Amino acid sequence: MTRSPSATGRLDRLYALALCLYPAPFRQGYGLAMSQTFRDALNDQALSRRTFIPLVLRDLLTSLAKEHLAMLRETFARPALVLNALILVGISTVIAMAIYVIPLQVLRLGTDDPQVELAGNLTWQIEQGIAPADAVPNGTVEMARSLSPFVAAYDEQGRPLASQARLNGQTPTLPPGILDFVRQHGEDRFTWKPSQGIRIAAVVQRVDGSHPGFVLAGRSMREEAARQGLLKQLAGLAWIAMLGLVFLGTVCLGWCTRPRSA
Amino acid sequence: MAKGTAPATPLTPAVFAILLSLAEGDKHGYHIMKDARAPQGGGIQMGPGTLYGSLDRMMRDGLVKETGTSDDERRRYYRLTKLGQSVLEVELERLHAAVSSAHALGLLPHGGRS
Repeated sequence: MTRSPSATGRLDRLYALALCLYPAPFRQGYGLAMSQTFRDALNDQALSRRTFIPLVLRDLLTSLAKEHLAMLRETFARPALVLNALILVGISTVIAMAIYVIPLQVLRLGTDDPQVELAGNLTWQIEQGIAPADAVPNGTVEMARSLSPFVAAYDEQGRPLASQARLNGQTPTLPPGILDFVRQHGEDRFTWKPSQGIRIAAVVQRVDGSHPGFVLAGRSMREEAARQGLLKQLAGLAWIAMLGLVFLGTVCLGWCTRPRSA
Repeated sequence: MAKGTAPATPLTPAVFAILLSLAEGDKHGYHIMKDARAPQGGGIQMGPGTLYGSLDRMMRDGLVKETGTSDDERRRYYRLTKLGQSVLEVELERLHAAVSSAHALGLLPHGGRS
């Protein structure tokens, strides 16, 4: 069976176009030889086109993927480039963590300032001989809802003497471990979770004098928690942006310094 | 091009078929493809992309080289190197051992327990 030269020419031109899809270095190295091999196959009377054309289509798909992957590997999988990218990812991660952790600590420490002053004032008043019930200001602060600071006075055993704070209608009791610590060190500043979902920035001080015991000053950390969440989001976004820059920089560097034989 | 390390056996079907074809002598691309397609050449249906991609990697590994001579500038001829020859021998020995084992087990259509 003779083969039409025009059909052969069309297929030849189509294949030449398909060769443009290969990576440039591969195309420059083997494009002419591949075209010639394709032409030789088309002119081979023993080879059926019904067999050969599907074979070439499959071959195009697989070899295009393979050659592009090989080019990417040679361009980007160089140890120096990978190491450089890993170092930059590490630096970005440390910076993002610092963006989160440092302001978080500053925020948390700043949260204690009013309570330190309130506890100090109450301690001083009780030590001057004012009865705890008189020294603690009137009024009630519901810990679960209010953002207002509050104070409370406790006896030596940690039993409440007077308190502005209420939790479900009751005066909250301090954790026993805190009292032991304050007996030894005079003061403790900590995050207190008296109930599920409630976090209090608390300061407990030792009281000496005629009414020995402890005073507590506390404040809900609800707003701080919201700020911490925002901080986490910003640090996360900064981290993703830095990783994006590292990725783009690595791609540009890899492309500019790619091996010319690739 | 930078030389790589010789591939460990078992070889891929395409590499094996190319080495086997070139063991006969210098050949150009389509001649290798034809040899590979024949049952005695490995029975590998290979297109130009696979052929030249494999030849490129085989040249880097030092298994084959271009002869530099051609009857047509678009036809490139390839030759087996000494390393390619020895890699082919190792692969053939491996296959021979496997075929012998299959013979011994009576797994081949015309074979039997020897």
